[in-house]
Amino acid sequence: MNMNTCVSGITSHSVKTTARPRNSLMDKLYLPAITGGVKVTFKHFFTNLKDINAMDTMQYPQEQPTDISSRYRGLHRLTHREDNSIACVACFMCSTACPSNCIFIEATERLDNIDEKMPQSFFIDTLECIFCGYCVEACPCDAIRMDTGIFSLTGNKREDFVMDKDTLLSHKGAYGEESSCAK
Amino acid sequence: MSEICEVIVDGEIHEAKEGSLLIDLLIEEGVKIPYFCYHESLGADGNCRMCMVGIKGEKRPQIACDTLIKKDMEVFSNTDVIKKVRTDILELELLNHPVDCPICDQAGECSLQDFYMDYGLHESKVEIEDKVKNSKHVDLGSSVVLDQERCVLCARCTRFTTEITHTNELGIVGRGDSAKVTTMPGRELSNPYAMNVVDLCPVGALTSKDFRFSQRVWLLETHNSICHGCAKGCNIYIDHNKLKYKDDVIYRFRPRKNLEVNGHFICDEGRLSYKDVQENRQEFSTFNHIEVEQDIAISKFKNFLEQHHKNIHILIDANLYTEEIEAILEFAKSIKAEVFSPLEVYTDEGFADDMLKCSNRASNYKTIENLNISTENPNNSELIINFNHPQNFESLMQIDFCTHKSDTNSLVFAIAAFTENEGSLTNVDGITQQTQKAVKKNNPQPSIIEWLTRIDL
Repeated sequence: MNMNTCVSGITSHSVKTTARPRNSLMDKLYLPAITGGVKVTFKHFFTNLKDINAMDTMQYPQEQPTDISSRYRGLHRLTHREDNSIACVACFMCSTACPSNCIFIEATERLDNIDEKMPQSFFIDTLECIFCGYCVEACPCDAIRMDTGIFSLTGNKREDFVMDKDTLLSHKGAYGEESSCAK
Repeated sequence: MSEICEVIVDGEIHEAKEGSLLIDLLIEEGVKIPYFCYHESLGADGNCRMCMVGIKGEKRPQIACDTLIKKDMEVFSNTDVIKKVRTDILELELLNHPVDCPICDQAGECSLQDFYMDYGLHESKVEIEDKVKNSKHVDLGSSVVLDQERCVLCARCTRFTTEITHTNELGIVGRGDSAKVTTMPGRELSNPYAMNVVDLCPVGALTSKDFRFSQRVWLLETHNSICHGCAKGCNIYIDHNKLKYKDDVIYRFRPRKNLEVNGHFICDEGRLSYKDVQENRQEFSTFNHIEVEQDIAISKFKNFLEQHHKNIHILIDANLYTEEIEAILEFAKSIKAEVFSPLEVYTDEGFADDMLKCSNRASNYKTIENLNISTENPNNSELIINFNHPQNFESLMQIDFCTHKSDTNSLVFAIAAFTENEGSLTNVDGITQQTQKAVKKNNPQPSIIEWLTRIDL
């Protein structure tokens, strides 16, 4: 086999080889590096000892974050109309836009004369969801939002993370806008 | 009149029959032309005015659907004037449109949506509240639902009932803003081809109650097939899909254009026959109604064949594909069995009409006749091997190959339905047509040919 050719077809002529930097005596001793590290640790240790409130870490979950803004993509919710009925019309825009295919909708006829179509069932598998917010972007009815401010989700089994229609409707908006703004 | 002449369309020379419709040439040559009211089967009506083109020598733009081709005609389809005219006409068509695409079943296959993306992209000058209100849910009968607000009054549906079915159920009443499609008071849309108006409707005004809201069209996968409802062999599209974590499901059959066989339409019974194909299916091999493993079923099959040497009779369903029938004949020869396919059970005189429906309900009975298979009933049978034939005859022992559940106490092998398999069929007029394999089930049943290779005597 030709020495100049490797499996991928790249020849050695096209590869630039750079010499690996050699460790100096200082590097080989390791002691200066260890001293540097310990210095940082002790600097923080004494600062924190002087004033406990200046600490950079947060005592989550006893302490909750305060810097979550209205643009934060939290857990989803399904919004209501002004008359408190479901805003979603099961148009499948969100599930079509969803890159992880985690929205499962079944549509049905709506019989209350408010609209013609609504979801029979609406599931979001939050374990599959990547929280990209495309569903919110795609929705023509402002029916799905991620403004709940909920950033943490816990459960004991996988099924706990699959949100159904009623759960999604029960989530409240955290930033004042409660019902759908679609006309 | 029917001389071939040259026509220049946007600088390109095309050949066409003199006196034929200009729009046919434009559609055939793939020239982008918007239209609502024109349909190949219904002819020109000229009411939607969307298909405007410029013609050299004519003062004003002309509609392509009602313009006859003349010698040395020069046509312009994409000048700025023509685009402006089309945009303005589209704006008029959309003036009272409710823009409820999210709840409209036509979304994704709607001419209004397509033309708006090509020629519109304008803001409506009329507020939603000021648009003319009409009935949004009129049940016309025959599983057809009408939304009068979405209608563009192209009159394809009314012309279909007048010119094709001659039943005249639909008409347009009122003028101007109050014009709407409707039936006579107390009368329903009721003819065996009524649901074709749903396919004809270029917008979401007429939708099928059967398909309504069941799936968005852009999620569907389409395959070409042949209807198995009767011997006519109408060409259809199978629209199906397999959702995540679910099985492959057929949502609808739609007619596929084939001027030699069915033209543009199919009957409602054939259209709705997709339900029977997937309901009550035999999903595994059984013996006396108890599920058995494939290997055990095959060894039982061989045992039965060893026990019975005389009077082995094979029954063939006349709906099977020609390839399958030929494989069965080969198999019959190897076990020295007689082959029967009684056709009387398929006859349904009440079903026939003078349009598409045919009194013989077996889609491949011509092949049975062509291959000289006996159409008599089997007599004095010891062992009957029934390949999906709907009838049962007396015998000491029976083996069934079924697509659907049967109540015989026999050895039953589950086989693929026509939608899960491909092959050819010969229709009542002797035209042989090919189908595509459409449905891919999570738990696919072997076809007859696959079973016969697995049994391998």
